[in-house]
Amino acid sequence: MHIPDGFIAPQVYLPAYALAAGAWAWAGRGLRRELDEATVPRLAVLTALCYALGLVMLPLPGGTSGHALGIGLLALLFGVRLAFVAYSLVLVLQALLLGAGGITALPVNALAMGLAGAAVAVGTRRLLARLGETPAVAAAAFLSVLVPALLVALVLGIQPLIAHRPNGTPLFFPFGLTITLPALLLPHLAVGIGEAIFTLLIWRFARRRGWPTT
Amino acid sequence: MADDLRARAGLALYAAAVLTATLVHDPRLLGAGLLAACAAAGAERLWLLRRTLRAVLAFNLTVSLGYLLVAGLRHGPSADYLLLVNLRVLLLVYLGFWLVARVNLALALALAPFPTLSFLVTLAAGQALTLRRLALDFRLAFTSRSPAPPGLPDRARSAGAQGLLLLDKALAASTEITQAMRSRGCFEEPDEANPTPDRRSI
Repeated sequence: MHIPDGFIAPQVYLPAYALAAGAWAWAGRGLRRELDEATVPRLAVLTALCYALGLVMLPLPGGTSGHALGIGLLALLFGVRLAFVAYSLVLVLQALLLGAGGITALPVNALAMGLAGAAVAVGTRRLLARLGETPAVAAAAFLSVLVPALLVALVLGIQPLIAHRPNGTPLFFPFGLTITLPALLLPHLAVGIGEAIFTLLIWRFARRRGWPTT
Repeated sequence: MADDLRARAGLALYAAAVLTATLVHDPRLLGAGLLAACAAAGAERLWLLRRTLRAVLAFNLTVSLGYLLVAGLRHGPSADYLLLVNLRVLLLVYLGFWLVARVNLALALALAPFPTLSFLVTLAAGQALTLRRLALDFRLAFTSRSPAPPGLPDRARSAGAQGLLLLDKALAASTEITQAMRSRGCFEEPDEANPTPDRRSI
């Protein structure tokens, strides 16, 4: 789902960087207190796992890619703030080591997948807790993929409106919302189901080993 | 200190180049920028260019073909746009790979004042490489053990088993590393007797 480098206009990515900087400052506050010698390896392992998941990417007609995110798992195990920091790290590693995503797209990707995805996962699980653990965790993971996909589709779809030549030729991403919304949301329905299964699998593993959860 | 300054200067130059590349909408200028970056990269240029092409090919081909199809049905595609967007993406990704090859990002981003974040970055990056290597080994082993193309249930079972084993192995390794870091004082809070815990041995 990453937005690749070069498809986002500076009118969008510069304000997004300002917004993301505020979010990173908020998430980084008190990091030292939350990360002890038990939490650091767990968070590092799952951050690395999210990176590994992002290596398998399928190009989608909307111009981005589909793959499991792992953000739901990070959020359910570590909370929104740590999940946002860890997923931002995943995005930086993917952008710099693999050229997937990118520096100009980093704040949009981080806000959509890292922050919104994590917040949706934690909120959904709390909201559906009375239905039982399995459906609540599955729904949280499913929505943690679908909501970021919707946000990414919206950001990409407005690019032709924001940045174009006087004759209407786009300067960055060429497709409008009528294409980006179905092109991203439909494949991510399937990705979301895969994400839910993966999250449940690791969630049960973590519970068996007595990891604390949010 | 000189290394710090050089790394930060490299990062600042990269950020300025990225911003410029997204503010310029003339394909000739972007092409000239790409040529200049290739010329300046020296002997690494072909390796960087191959890496860049491999990274962007799938995405750019998808977007370019999609654009040709959609614009062709509406008002006719613009060669100027195709050139512009492909050159811009190539230049941006090339610059990113060049930065990673030349600049020590840990120094440039000044992670030293944030030791906890440094631990996390170091562990996560190390584990990511380990997981990638193990995942490739498992994939090759699974393929070699399957005389016929495996079905969906087989692939799902294999993926689940691989995922759990990878997680267990990575957790054990990172716990060992963390214990090693702890034994060297990484998690010690500075105090009056020892205001700057010595982390040089890590």
